[in-house]
Amino acid sequence: MKLICTQDNFKKAIYNSERVVAKQNTLPILNNILLEAEKGFLKLSATNLEIGVVVKISAKTEKEGKITIPARFLSNFSTNLPFNDSVLLEISEQNLKIKSGAVKAVIKGLPASDFPLIPKKNTEFLLNISSIELKNILSKVMVATALNEARAELTGVNLILEKDELFFASTDSFRLVEHKLMIDKKNCNTLIYNLFIEKKNNIIIPAATLIELNRIISADTEGEVRMAIEDGQIFFETNGTILVSRLINGKYPEYKHIMPKKYNTRVVGDKKTIQSAVKMASVFAAGKGSEISLKIDSEAKKVFIGAKSVEVGENSTELNFDVSGPSQEIIVNSKYLLDGINTVSTSQVAILLNSESTPVAICEINEKTGEVLGDFVYIVMPIKA
Amino acid sequence: MTNEELWQSALGEIELSISKANFITWFKNTSILSNKDGQIVINVPNGFAKEWLENKYNLHILRALRNFQEDIKSVSCVIATNKESVSREPSVDAIIAPPKTRLDFQKTTASGHESNLNPRYIFDNFVVGGSNELAKAACFAVSQNLGRIYNPLFIYGGVGLGKTHLIQSIGNEILKNNPDFKVKYITSERFTSELIDSIKNQKIHEFKEYYQKIDLLIIDDIQFISGKEKTQEEFFHIFNHLYQLNKQIVLSSDRAPKAIQILEERLRSRFEGGMIADVSKPDFETRMAILRKKVADETIPISNEAIEFIATNVKNNIRELEGALNRVLVSAQLTKQTVTPEYVSQILSELISSGKKKGITHKHIIKVVSEFYDIDPSDLVAKNRKQEVVKPRQIAMYLMRTELQYSYPGIGSKMGGRDHTTAIHAFEKISEITKKDEKILEEINFLKDQLYTII
Repeated sequence: MKLICTQDNFKKAIYNSERVVAKQNTLPILNNILLEAEKGFLKLSATNLEIGVVVKISAKTEKEGKITIPARFLSNFSTNLPFNDSVLLEISEQNLKIKSGAVKAVIKGLPASDFPLIPKKNTEFLLNISSIELKNILSKVMVATALNEARAELTGVNLILEKDELFFASTDSFRLVEHKLMIDKKNCNTLIYNLFIEKKNNIIIPAATLIELNRIISADTEGEVRMAIEDGQIFFETNGTILVSRLINGKYPEYKHIMPKKYNTRVVGDKKTIQSAVKMASVFAAGKGSEISLKIDSEAKKVFIGAKSVEVGENSTELNFDVSGPSQEIIVNSKYLLDGINTVSTSQVAILLNSESTPVAICEINEKTGEVLGDFVYIVMPIKA
Repeated sequence: MTNEELWQSALGEIELSISKANFITWFKNTSILSNKDGQIVINVPNGFAKEWLENKYNLHILRALRNFQEDIKSVSCVIATNKESVSREPSVDAIIAPPKTRLDFQKTTASGHESNLNPRYIFDNFVVGGSNELAKAACFAVSQNLGRIYNPLFIYGGVGLGKTHLIQSIGNEILKNNPDFKVKYITSERFTSELIDSIKNQKIHEFKEYYQKIDLLIIDDIQFISGKEKTQEEFFHIFNHLYQLNKQIVLSSDRAPKAIQILEERLRSRFEGGMIADVSKPDFETRMAILRKKVADETIPISNEAIEFIATNVKNNIRELEGALNRVLVSAQLTKQTVTPEYVSQILSELISSGKKKGITHKHIIKVVSEFYDIDPSDLVAKNRKQEVVKPRQIAMYLMRTELQYSYPGIGSKMGGRDHTTAIHAFEKISEITKKDEKILEEINFLKDQLYTII
């Protein structure tokens, strides 16, 4: 192998692939990144056997060939590489020679033949999703995924594929996020898609995969992410990078029925104001559950957020918010509430509820019309008084 | 050969031909999905394993499988997707209310942990009756005048009569009024094991220092230090130290200091130096009062007659009384029945019939008494006046009277044809002694226990 590529591409490719490499591996080769030179491009592959990443960058290839290099080492090397336009890579025997500007290095590698094969996609891409939209959704739905492996299905994000829309959802059984995404028909392989969802329309994608995807998607580009689903695995492709991951085996809990169809009481207010009120109350909230109370006075058009504990004392913040519907008083976990408010990306937040024992919803507000937006819903269960 | 056996055998073969790391990485969680017409389909956990097994290890696997089943032509892999998914609790709601962590807003005394006290035990919920009046009064007085009167305070009585409740109440009362006081409640068993630990870790000095700084030391079930010499010695020193500083010491035991066996004389005399109060079995009225108090907190209606029935039939200790009530309440709740005396008698029939009065005869008494005093049963009824059998004989007669309600002439004839006046004399004499001599009383109580457990 002998090739020249831009240093910028080279660094980015390493950055995007290196992270999936697990820290502890039974198989030493899994600590490595595979570099393959083919006509017109250089391909970097890395995997932890749950997720695989393949990054292609354009390169001027003189001689094809492949080798694997320890990922951490390559990453440390590339981050310390002084700026230069191009990088020259060459294999001689079991070593990789790198030359970039004034820096020269020879790195010992392992033969590429032992490197795991990254699964190849056998089916067509189902649909394309706008990178920015997907990034926005991912950052929101990841909030509620469970960290505890006790229920494996909750450690992933549930994706439901409907004819006209996608539903991303996650829950750790105490709160739930759902984000709806309309499918752009132009970007959808409608025929194949409709056939596919008849067979299978409910999958669970591991949270780690989506964290990786979120990093790989570059927010500044007007790009798209292409998605394909096969038995037990999912493929994403964006910007020349392919991400393949296993899917979580299991049945995601049915959640649609617990989302209230309508809410009686509605509170709308400034996100920052309510954020600080909840944070203040959580200072006073006692115990691991850090319970705070939310009192909505419909007559006075006021919201009181407060907490009290035996050891510390008590507090209350009075907020003059837009209140409609009957008065309510609920107790909620401050962390769960705050997580929900934090994920809201509009400057106004809506809190919707029915009673002290039914789910409470947090939604976004259209800045111009002041209407409650329906795509994103964060639901938290109040604590029983 | 089943698929599973076939795969296990093949794996055994493959394991030998590749490295262990490779084997674990690629063959973990694999199984044969189907075996049809020589075509084997292997279930693999992910796409990586599928690619690897199909492309790199295909020959290995084929060769290994053919050793056991010759007609195998090909091997392919699929990623496991349990389609008939082992749907774990499908009906469960996706989200539930988080558990409430703050159980009660009432104070749980800040130092509750260090003092070992159970905050539930307070004077306010202690039911006072004739049987425990003195003990309660003494404990309350101590809690108001710590270390100045009744030091040490020694409470004794049978199991489940409220000793622990009373002595912990002192601690809780003190902490309520003076949260800064150092209160330590410990059982003598824990005390012993702490002492042993400190000796083992060569921290006996710290152990002593810790105990000598305490304002109120409560030791439960002190009788267990009997026979433990080193514990007694250390306890003696701690006791003296605290006593001289006018720090309060409260002890409880299941018997009077006199009746604790193998207790050093100097400790015994110290225990007796303060105030000794006993709690005895609650009378009917107290039992009623206790039940009423418990029932008041419950939502289930329970009639007065039903309470009376429980109070009449469960006599021995308060713990049993509460247990019986709880049993009635829980089963009433489960079966959604109203609590009537008939219902109670049905629920408690087992408890009551296992009650102790049944089936004891004079023969049991003679047996137990003769065994306890280590004399021959025939001597007990024989016509002689040997010194060593006189007292046991009287006690046997006393027990026949109190426990079996035999008539005096009846007792006389059961005891080898004695006159009924002999029986009267024996009963009166023992009754008189028990009022004065703790030791005899203790013996009699022990005999009663023996008598009822023997059946």
